[in-house]
Amino acid sequence: MDMIDFLNQLEQTRFASAVAESTWLFPFFETVHVFTLSLVLGSVALVDMRLLGLAGRHRPVTEISNTVLPWTWAAFTVTALCGLVLFSSKATTYYVNLPFRIKMAALAFAGINMIVFHGVTARDVTSWDMGVPPVRARVAGAVSVCLWVVIAFAGRWIGFTR
Amino acid sequence: MMQAISDWLASSRLSHLLADAGWFVPTAQAIHILAIAAVVTLLSMLNFRLLGLTGRGPPAHNLAGYYIPWVWRGLVILLVSGALLTITEPERELMNISFRIKMLLVLALAIVTFVEHSSFLADSHYCNRSRHHLMLMRTLAAVSLVLCVTIVAAGRLIAYS
Repeated sequence: MDMIDFLNQLEQTRFASAVAESTWLFPFFETVHVFTLSLVLGSVALVDMRLLGLAGRHRPVTEISNTVLPWTWAAFTVTALCGLVLFSSKATTYYVNLPFRIKMAALAFAGINMIVFHGVTARDVTSWDMGVPPVRARVAGAVSVCLWVVIAFAGRWIGFTR
Repeated sequence: MMQAISDWLASSRLSHLLADAGWFVPTAQAIHILAIAAVVTLLSMLNFRLLGLTGRGPPAHNLAGYYIPWVWRGLVILLVSGALLTITEPERELMNISFRIKMLLVLALAIVTFVEHSSFLADSHYCNRSRHHLMLMRTLAAVSLVLCVTIVAAGRLIAYS
């Protein structure tokens, strides 16, 4: 079974069909998706602004990340689940949609950036918790900002392309 | 009257200029979404703190001081991007019930944010003065959260109504 067959089967499941055919299910999941996505974007931006040394320099990096990251994870989980629901309703169409592919690629890179940051760069965070972080942390913040802006723009463009 | 304003805007040079540039609407909407992200996240974090739903981090009046100035900046970006989007597609916005409800809710949110902010500016220990003060601030925080959710919903539903 190749990818297109799999996506066709996904589209034809009862739940996916229900979402595609209902007048309110898609807008409902889309609204939740957009709301929780805004929490992901905002919370990521808060941490990135701190990593870039552009805001909150008087607050320790760890204080900001410890209070903000739980929001990011919770919001991301709901956003991803809603995204799966939306995707499944028109899987074959979205799969070949260029902005959608760009969005998914940017999301993957954002994930890698985050893993590298937490696994490597932030190991010694307590030594640069106050003031302006080292270059490697600022690079992580800048890469993150760029990728999430791409995700926001690409996500919006999906609705404008078919 | 709204129809007359809509027609007048639709006939303007700026409206034609922006409408002819196919990239403008999705770009302006993406900027609008990024500003929503900032406002909704900052207000949600502050309001959760005020409601006692999160305990970690700085006290609420510190968070209010850090975040609310950025909420105002975000609202300015939303107003500018929103105005340009309305000028580009006046009928889509001005004649739409979801859009009108959204604007009323935005006004309500601005008022609630202003009251939250000015209470802390006048007295950083506002919530500790009395049970009455604490309950008032918690009510404002709850209302602010509900408004954020309904504004986003109304905004998204413009496209469907």
